[in-house]
Amino acid sequence: MNDINDFCYKCYVVFKYTFFEIIKSKVLMNVFLLGLGLLLICYIAYSFTYGVPERVVLDVGLGMLSLSSVGMAIFFGVGLISKEIENRTIYMILSRPISRKAFLLGRIMGMVGVLILNILILSVLTLVLYVFLGGSIQSLILISIFFSIIEAIIVLLIVVFFSLITNPTLSVIYTVVVYIIGHSISDTMINGFAKKSVIISSILNVYSVIFPNFNKLNLKDLILYKQYLPFTTFCGITTYGLVYMLFLIFITSIIFERKNLD
Amino acid sequence: MINFIEISKKFKTDFWTQYFWALENVSFEIAEGHIIGFLGANGAGKTTLIKILMGLIKTSSGRVEFSTKLGKNQKEVFSNMGLLPERPYFYPHLTGNEFIYYLGSLNNVSKIDLKQRINYWAERFKITHALERKLKTYSKGMLQRLGFISTIIHNPKMVILDEPLSGLDPIGRKEIKDSIVEINKEGRTVFFSSHIVPDVEEICKRVVFLEKGTLLYDGQIDHLIEKNMKPNYQIKYYANDEIITQEIPIVEKEEFLKKIINNNQKIISVEKLRPSLEEILYNIKTK
Repeated sequence: MNDINDFCYKCYVVFKYTFFEIIKSKVLMNVFLLGLGLLLICYIAYSFTYGVPERVVLDVGLGMLSLSSVGMAIFFGVGLISKEIENRTIYMILSRPISRKAFLLGRIMGMVGVLILNILILSVLTLVLYVFLGGSIQSLILISIFFSIIEAIIVLLIVVFFSLITNPTLSVIYTVVVYIIGHSISDTMINGFAKKSVIISSILNVYSVIFPNFNKLNLKDLILYKQYLPFTTFCGITTYGLVYMLFLIFITSIIFERKNLD
Repeated sequence: MINFIEISKKFKTDFWTQYFWALENVSFEIAEGHIIGFLGANGAGKTTLIKILMGLIKTSSGRVEFSTKLGKNQKEVFSNMGLLPERPYFYPHLTGNEFIYYLGSLNNVSKIDLKQRINYWAERFKITHALERKLKTYSKGMLQRLGFISTIIHNPKMVILDEPLSGLDPIGRKEIKDSIVEINKEGRTVFFSSHIVPDVEEICKRVVFLEKGTLLYDGQIDHLIEKNMKPNYQIKYYANDEIITQEIPIVEKEEFLKKIINNNQKIISVEKLRPSLEEILYNIKTK
């Protein structure tokens, strides 16, 4: 087995058992309960809506699946590596012929698998209800779900990154802060006060280069008003998400490679 | 097989505190084919040294050299080593079988071999019935046995066991000790870390003794005991329907024995006093 094949195989092994471990921890049960809650909330929203109930259902459904996957990414992601170190399970793994990079990637991929599963289950429930109420499925809805996956993965990578350099509580707080700012940075940048001040606008510009701008991944307004998303914009946003993920994986793996596991 | 060369490691608990030395210039060799006891009180630096050996933490100075018999690069070396860490925690939602398959797969052991070896060792440790159960239902002793199986599942040339007997009942302790001797007889080198001296004395011929990060002794247990033999004899005999035990200096032995015989008292045993390893190490430590 050459080095690349071996690396991929070890990633796959870690991915497989990380995925099993999380799935067996009854997370799916929680997802189904969340799904039921989602249906209930959508039904309530539908009952109180006049005119375009299916759009409200879609808005609530997509919003909830995005929030739930981000929540899941934060609360599972924070212990993804740090718990392994704390519990010394990592010693049994890294004392075998596996590189730290392969282990890190495998763990992240396992968690990404769970996030995708969560998003798919909630998406199916939302879309079934949406179609049942007379809505028609457009490609924008599927793109929005795809971007929710990208958003959840970026949040996961951020929390894993923080968990390697600080304690779990601070990691969660920092990630939530980055997530909230990431959603409001675009609006803040076009705010009149921020535009007038050179210092503030420079800070915001620097921030938006370094930290993720989650607003780019939010297509809910576009879907609700049936606006068209040009293919180039789709490619641009996807590339932005993928590059950001690669950047986070790169710096996280460098930190993990050098970290003293004591 | 493995050479520790002037290993030092300093730690800082937080930014404001001063460094403390967990290990200071520790040098010794793990020779091939032996069971080497690695002794030291809690906090002596044993686990730190094992972490350095496995590349989990870096040294402040010094280095670890691996023999080419273990491998030419880190990947090969780690393929030939097995580590059971102290108080390991296992994935609670995986089953026993899944856990061993997980670790075995990382060592590229084929599924057929894994199955055979799991069957052998699980039967040996009487945990076959629990292999399909989630690990969160296992007792501490069962987890320790499973950890031991996962450590040797890939037939490593070198096995590092950090407090492998902690939390085990007497039967479990005996099973693991017997297994350590068995894998050593098969040709595997065992580095057995413990703070329980009698356990080490029972199964090891060589011992490395660490105290507060410094190496205090490295050598054969027999040599150490021979060197510390007291110049006394212990004589047991019957007198007035009672067993009397007396410690007599060598020079007085003959005369004392004659006296017992002349008094028509029955001698039960005459033994040269042999100190336990624990006593000797305690004396070395307090010197």
